[in-house]
Amino acid sequence: MSFLNNYIYYIGALGLILIGLYIILVKRNLIKVIIGLSILDTGINLFLISIGYMSEGTAPIFEKGEAKLARMVDPVPQALVLTAIVIGVAVLALALSLAIRLYHHYGTLNLRKIREQRW
Amino acid sequence: MKRIISFVLLAIVALGIILSLLYIPFGMPKTKVGEHYIEKGKQETGAANIVTAVVVNYRGFDTLGEVTVLFISAIGLSAVLATRGKKIAKKIEPASAILYTGCRFLFPLILLFGAYIFIHGHLTPGGGFQGGAIIASAFLLIYLGCRGRRISEKRTKAVESLSGLVIVVVGLIGLAVGGRYFLSNFLPKGILFSLFSAGIIPIIYIAIGIKVGSELAFIIDRLMEESE
Amino acid sequence: MVNPVLLIVVPLGLSFAIPLFSLISKRIEKYIPVAALVFNLVVSLLLIPKVLKQPINVFIGGYLPPFCINLVAGPVGILFSALIALIGLLVSIYALDYIREGAKQLYHILYLLLLTGATGVVLTGDIFNLFVFFEILCISSYALVAYFGDRAGIESAVKYLIQGAVGSSLMLIGIGLLYGLFGTLNMADIARNIDSVSSISVFVPLVLLITGLGVEAAIFPLNAWLPDAHSSAPSSISAILSGIAIKVGIYALARVIFTIFGASSLLQFMVFLGLLTLLVGEVSAFSQNNIKRLLAYSSIGQIGLIVFALGIGITYGVVGGLFQLISHALSKALLFLAVGYMIYRSGSMDISALEGMGKRMPLTSLAFTIGAFSLVGFPPFIGFPSKFLIIRAALSKEEVLFTVLIAFVLLGTVIEGAYFFRVIQVLYFRGGQTDIKREEAPVPALIPIFILMILIVVIGIYPKPVTNLLNSASSELLNRIEYIRGVLG
Repeated sequence: MSFLNNYIYYIGALGLILIGLYIILVKRNLIKVIIGLSILDTGINLFLISIGYMSEGTAPIFEKGEAKLARMVDPVPQALVLTAIVIGVAVLALALSLAIRLYHHYGTLNLRKIREQRW
Repeated sequence: MKRIISFVLLAIVALGIILSLLYIPFGMPKTKVGEHYIEKGKQETGAANIVTAVVVNYRGFDTLGEVTVLFISAIGLSAVLATRGKKIAKKIEPASAILYTGCRFLFPLILLFGAYIFIHGHLTPGGGFQGGAIIASAFLLIYLGCRGRRISEKRTKAVESLSGLVIVVVGLIGLAVGGRYFLSNFLPKGILFSLFSAGIIPIIYIAIGIKVGSELAFIIDRLMEESE
Repeated sequence: MVNPVLLIVVPLGLSFAIPLFSLISKRIEKYIPVAALVFNLVVSLLLIPKVLKQPINVFIGGYLPPFCINLVAGPVGILFSALIALIGLLVSIYALDYIREGAKQLYHILYLLLLTGATGVVLTGDIFNLFVFFEILCISSYALVAYFGDRAGIESAVKYLIQGAVGSSLMLIGIGLLYGLFGTLNMADIARNIDSVSSISVFVPLVLLITGLGVEAAIFPLNAWLPDAHSSAPSSISAILSGIAIKVGIYALARVIFTIFGASSLLQFMVFLGLLTLLVGEVSAFSQNNIKRLLAYSSIGQIGLIVFALGIGITYGVVGGLFQLISHALSKALLFLAVGYMIYRSGSMDISALEGMGKRMPLTSLAFTIGAFSLVGFPPFIGFPSKFLIIRAALSKEEVLFTVLIAFVLLGTVIEGAYFFRVIQVLYFRGGQTDIKREEAPVPALIPIFILMILIVVIGIYPKPVTNLLNSASSELLNRIEYIRGVLG
């Protein structure tokens, strides 16, 4: 049980990553693929944060009047995830705008049918 | 067939990551860089929030890059959605009085909250990006609740560019003045836990908060316009 | 002495300022990228003599590495940033006239940010910073491929975006694993400690990073996006993508494989992968009817050749690979710039539509011919010394395997020659109309074409200064201990 307690975050993050990759590889609707991309990003962010966790640690913020140094989690992965979330949002916004334009041109979002560029 | 191939690929990826994760035990202290930041962060930067110190000061270049990425996304979205055809004006059903008044009432409160978050970024959890997202959500409330209101595109672009330039200029001043390093913390560190402390960190976070808020509001505005 | 951080910050600041400039006057927005790139080119060239003696380390924020982000301006970095600035400048002059419709201001902002991202990737010394600048490069290119807004452009941009985003995500997982294993994000620090963990745990981040970077660098199984993206983008952007973006991906790959991981066991794999990419690219190009797709597949082939050369592993091999990189950047940019106006005048991208261009646009056709000959490797042009160096490096290994592989490389060159000759034949020797009037490309397009032609011929005849520079660059890439000592002391 303690094994699960410790590794649940890794398992959850890995699960999200695999689900996201599966959706991108298999699904045909462009919006679903974009949602898969978003799930992949979420999984990766969770993965990064759980790497930085220290057991019995608190948030790395100093409070006024604190005497001893409580154990704090690693602040660097939190900074990395901040950047990664914003980059994920940026890609998502661009992908959605391209999906809108694609729908204007083709009238469908089925990736099987959007294959004008052949060999 | 495609499913079988994708299952095999995913199994390989999962196996690889699990194999590597066996060497990274959960919850163990593993880094010297992180410890250095926690021990010395308060004195070197003057911020109480160590994550802010890392984001703005120690790894400030990444933050500059991240702000640029959001800028590119807003500009790219605007370039892709640049309308070529004529716009058909649809009749917009006006919102009911309660909804309209409620949204207008909440709007400045949410803006205030967002501004509080990014101004106090070096003292409490939060910071520029979080505050900026809250500000954009205030604009989203106005779009959804009081339909038909729009923000002026020129002014938003001007605010975005100006705040971006503030960040770059502050960095360049650091290059010229204090210690000759880009983005060095050249303003006095002040008293810990007070609002005006931590050198350039509040200035940069305020600029980032305004920039992110206006960019996300711009993205929402363009997408809303596209849907009408 | 100019601080190398300005190479990144000045174009960044100027691109933030373009909307403000356009409030004053709409006419100056297209000159701002030109100004920024002139600055970059001048600073890079001025820094070259200094970095040949000793790489310049820039610490951002004033702290010491590994507690800060550092830029490592060594021979490789400054050489690449000079190349980026040169090609960027020439294409921005070309775009003064080529980009006439659409939201022009946004094109120029995205263009300058793409080049800023590229310069950032080659100068940085921190792996997460590499990821951030790499994302700047990729996202600008996604938006620029879709610039024209037609069916082909949007479809290619969507496919490019999905593949690129998955690649970047895999790269981020790799970076996360590296941080978990080593506790630091500084490239020199990771390189120093690489042997302290077991090699199987390091293998997975390496594979993830290679896959993520390989999508942008267009090595074999990961380059499905390239023919569509490079052929549907505006021709100035095709020149930048083929000439700069994939090269920056190769640089990142080389930096990760050689400097951080020091993986000499991967070199065999790189050689085979490079050869496979070369053959796939050249054979696919042979059967193309669309001129820009042909050039795109040719880019894939050349990337295969560069990876092959880098995989040989000795100094000569890396020098040859880097030289081939420069030669391909210059030649492919010239080809795309020439083809851009040819397509504009004839209205179609089919090769048969280029009939008679030899008489109609003689200077542009001459430029195309020079670019094609240089790519195939004919003597007075830059392609010849670069290919010669690669072959000599492979033969100097004195293994039967390499002699066989060189035979395949020459086969690829022959195929390349065949399809380029086919296009040149259409340009000059077809077209029965005799009353074709000359309508040459406009002046802003001819200036960069002319400068590229001169550079190709001059460096081809006199490659010595470039090879000297490349010798120090390749020793920096291969010599990990020197790199680590230079950064961490």
